[in-house]
Amino acid sequence: MPLRRGFQDHFDWPLFVTTAAISVVGVINLYSASSAAGGALRDLYIQQIYWLMLGAGAAVLVAAVDYRHFERYGWVAYGIGITLLVLVFLLAREIRGSQRWIPIGSFSLQPSELMKLFFIVALAKHLHNDPRTEGRTLKDLIIPGLILVFPLMLILAQPDLGTALILVFVFATIMVLTHLKLRSLVTLVVSLAASAPMAWAYLLKDYQRERVTSFLDPEKDILDSGWHAYQAKVAIGSGGLTGKGFLQGTQNQHKFLPDQHSDFPFPVWAEEHGFIGAVVLIMLYLVLVLWGLKIASEAKDRFGAVVAVGVSALIFWQAVINLGMVCGLLPVVGITLPLFSYGGSSVLTIMAGIGLLMNISMRRFHF
Amino acid sequence: MNLLSVRREVGEFKKRYKWMALFVIVTMTIIMGRLFQLQILQNDRWMVEAEKNITKVVRLPATRGIIRDHKGRVVAQNRPSYNVYVTPSLLGDEQLSAIGELLSLDADQKQRFVRRMENVPARRRSHFVLAFNDITRDQYAAIETHRRELPGVNVVATPVRAYPFKTLGAHTIGFLNEVSADDLKRLTGLGYGAGHSVGRSGIERAWESYLRGKDGELRVVVDVQGQELDGSPHRVAQRAVREEPVPGLDLRLTLDMDMMRAAERAFRGHPSGGVAVVDIKTGRVRALYSKPGYDLNEMGGGLSPMRAKEILENPFRPLIDKTTYETYFPGSTFKPISAIAALQDGIMTSSVEYKCPGYYELGKRRFRCSHVHGDVDMRDAITQSCNVYFYKLAEQVGIDRLALYAREFGLGQKTGVGINTEASGFVPTRDWYAKNHNNRYHLGFTLNTAIGQGDTRVTLIQLAMMYAAIASGGALYVPQLVERVEQADGVTVEEFPPRVRRHINVDPAHIALIKEGLLGVVNDREGTAYDARVQGGVMVAGKTGTAEVSKHKLNPRDDPRREWYYRRAHSWFAGFAPADNPELAIAVIVEHGGQGGKYAAPIATQVLQDALGGGDPNKNKPLLISKKP
Repeated sequence: MPLRRGFQDHFDWPLFVTTAAISVVGVINLYSASSAAGGALRDLYIQQIYWLMLGAGAAVLVAAVDYRHFERYGWVAYGIGITLLVLVFLLAREIRGSQRWIPIGSFSLQPSELMKLFFIVALAKHLHNDPRTEGRTLKDLIIPGLILVFPLMLILAQPDLGTALILVFVFATIMVLTHLKLRSLVTLVVSLAASAPMAWAYLLKDYQRERVTSFLDPEKDILDSGWHAYQAKVAIGSGGLTGKGFLQGTQNQHKFLPDQHSDFPFPVWAEEHGFIGAVVLIMLYLVLVLWGLKIASEAKDRFGAVVAVGVSALIFWQAVINLGMVCGLLPVVGITLPLFSYGGSSVLTIMAGIGLLMNISMRRFHF
Repeated sequence: MNLLSVRREVGEFKKRYKWMALFVIVTMTIIMGRLFQLQILQNDRWMVEAEKNITKVVRLPATRGIIRDHKGRVVAQNRPSYNVYVTPSLLGDEQLSAIGELLSLDADQKQRFVRRMENVPARRRSHFVLAFNDITRDQYAAIETHRRELPGVNVVATPVRAYPFKTLGAHTIGFLNEVSADDLKRLTGLGYGAGHSVGRSGIERAWESYLRGKDGELRVVVDVQGQELDGSPHRVAQRAVREEPVPGLDLRLTLDMDMMRAAERAFRGHPSGGVAVVDIKTGRVRALYSKPGYDLNEMGGGLSPMRAKEILENPFRPLIDKTTYETYFPGSTFKPISAIAALQDGIMTSSVEYKCPGYYELGKRRFRCSHVHGDVDMRDAITQSCNVYFYKLAEQVGIDRLALYAREFGLGQKTGVGINTEASGFVPTRDWYAKNHNNRYHLGFTLNTAIGQGDTRVTLIQLAMMYAAIASGGALYVPQLVERVEQADGVTVEEFPPRVRRHINVDPAHIALIKEGLLGVVNDREGTAYDARVQGGVMVAGKTGTAEVSKHKLNPRDDPRREWYYRRAHSWFAGFAPADNPELAIAVIVEHGGQGGKYAAPIATQVLQDALGGGDPNKNKPLLISKKP
């Protein structure tokens, strides 16, 4: 049986090991983060294990089917994603001023997470069918742009700035992969730069603008919008070289870190395991992303290459923005750390993405 | 699709991977660099911040030392004040109104309290905030019984100062109040913080470092809401650390509150003035009384603006310490100095007589005497306070010799009493007049100086010390207010023996003559204070003075109807008793009282009688007009 042989011969161990390592470390860290919270949040780490197992199952499924089948159903996946995003507005309850989750039984699904993958697949399908040898012009960006715009608008309307931002970054990364003519590139960059102030004035909400200004001048208002960022820095900085020890982080245990499970799990880790622990974790992400790029470079077709770059970019940008934000290099936006933060939809998405990488990796010998 | 064509299709992407990988590596390196900066380079700073986050420090105030008088009666002590502290982050609307209910606040107070709690800035919300000061025992009991329902409320008993004698000796004992922002700048490094009290005047201020003690503190480990977390589930929190406060040291004063009380009693009917009583053999101050005073218990804070205004605008200036800070012309109380100056340098003998026609002419000016004294010698001149005699004496003695002896007896210099702001007074010299009067010195200055007018200024305590020196035959002491420093258990830590400032070299015969004159003042029929003597009581010697007030400038704020009062002379008496074996020296001033013999002298004789003779000697004798049964 070709599939079995493929699994045995071509199983991508480095991809598996890094993914597993990040997941395990993430669960351990969630245990510490949730132990401080108490109450209902106490068992969060157990739920995360369930999600990881579910995600692993999804990854196996995704890896088992030859990815070229996904190419065929790219538009269908995209359609499903858009439909779910529309459903959000019909079904979701408002939580903290935004609608993001569709309740399913006792769980809730976050379609914007799944959309990230569907979006990558759709974009890959488009580029797969649009090979070029000469440079691309702006005209060639119209269809990819449209593929981006629909989910982007729906996500911004929730509003979920973080996910929208990731979508844009992933899109940009994939487009960097293609060969754009220099003149078109310059026009694009200039017009984007020109529209930035407009976006600042009309697109961002007040609280989002406040986060940016408080990032630029953190001392101004340590106690309100700058509070999260500041306490994260205190947690990381006080960790020192080797950290305060597992479950010994005072910032975490005494609840000075807001959203320890979702947006700020890294400070918990860095506080308790210090610089060494933090570097080990970052190295894992670095290896994972570089490995993803290697898979992309070895992919035998355009679809596989674009999907691999897209998934790597997804992991990379989420990690970089989350890490940059918690250590005060970037303003605070709600972006989770892949596989490390708690979140069912997010774990499922990333795991499925890893499944795609595995799929592409294993099938590079096949044709 | 053959193998080759697939390869070519992917070729468009090929050269980008390298750059992407490089970008990823660089970005991750930047983040690791940032972590290095935070965790390794700035580690110390963030450790401190993290520690600060979880520690809440509660001050354990030290008990301030107790002040007792010479006989061991408490003049300043501590009583608990129950203060309500709240942690606003733990209080909902319900709790706020519950607190209002328990403290039985009226609607207005309740509203003000709620508004105050709303206005607490976010960063203070998880800390203790002082909500109410000095609640009553009933209010305290009400809160205590509902403690469980009010997790964010703490009642802390803080010692506050209590002064059992209230206004008596207010200037000397002094008071405390809360440090201001300016004080904190001045007192940096001494452990003062917002909300602490510091001695403001009198002994409380001057002996602050002895009385204060050292605050302790309680460090509790808290979470982000300020909730105490002693022994968190994962041993993150160290146990609460408690550093016990060190109580302040007690003071034993030289003051005798009985004598203070006597001074207060004797001052009835006079609105303004002061009394200083000094032990002649030691220089220890037995009474230092300035009228009017203020209740020390209301000065510790919480003085209503109305009451403060009342004190500030009182025409008799309650805030001025009339014993050490205010200076006056000594008037005739200066005459013994003039006499000693003349005798000591052999310029005159005591037996020389001058005729007093009631005035003295110098050029075109006429210097007045109180009345026609006829022929007087030095003793008579002192007893009857004849100005003409001293004018003639001054002509021969000269102003600089007067100044020399005045300074010998401690005038023109601070006595070193060591509390409040002591004035040094002033003793003019020929040079000074030359400099300050257009280089036109004339003899009139000397004549005025000899009778204590002119430009000489003294404080009450200086005069008391001077008369003590006369009484003791020349020993000028440093006035002493604190006898010893004790621990709370009564063990003496430090004792302060009497300190002689200098021995004035005066011939005992001259002193004897002066004393004889001073005795005559009170006990001769001719003496200016004869009416003030206590019949059958302690023999008092001393000198009256009627210090004319030079051209009182009416303060525009003052009522013009009070002008007659401000124009009236200050009434003086300074002396000692018992005359034959002096123990106590006294100086009394009744501001704008009038003649010394009439107003100040009776106060002095009464105080001395109370102190030395055990009260009124005629108390049990029948009145002259008594009906026989």
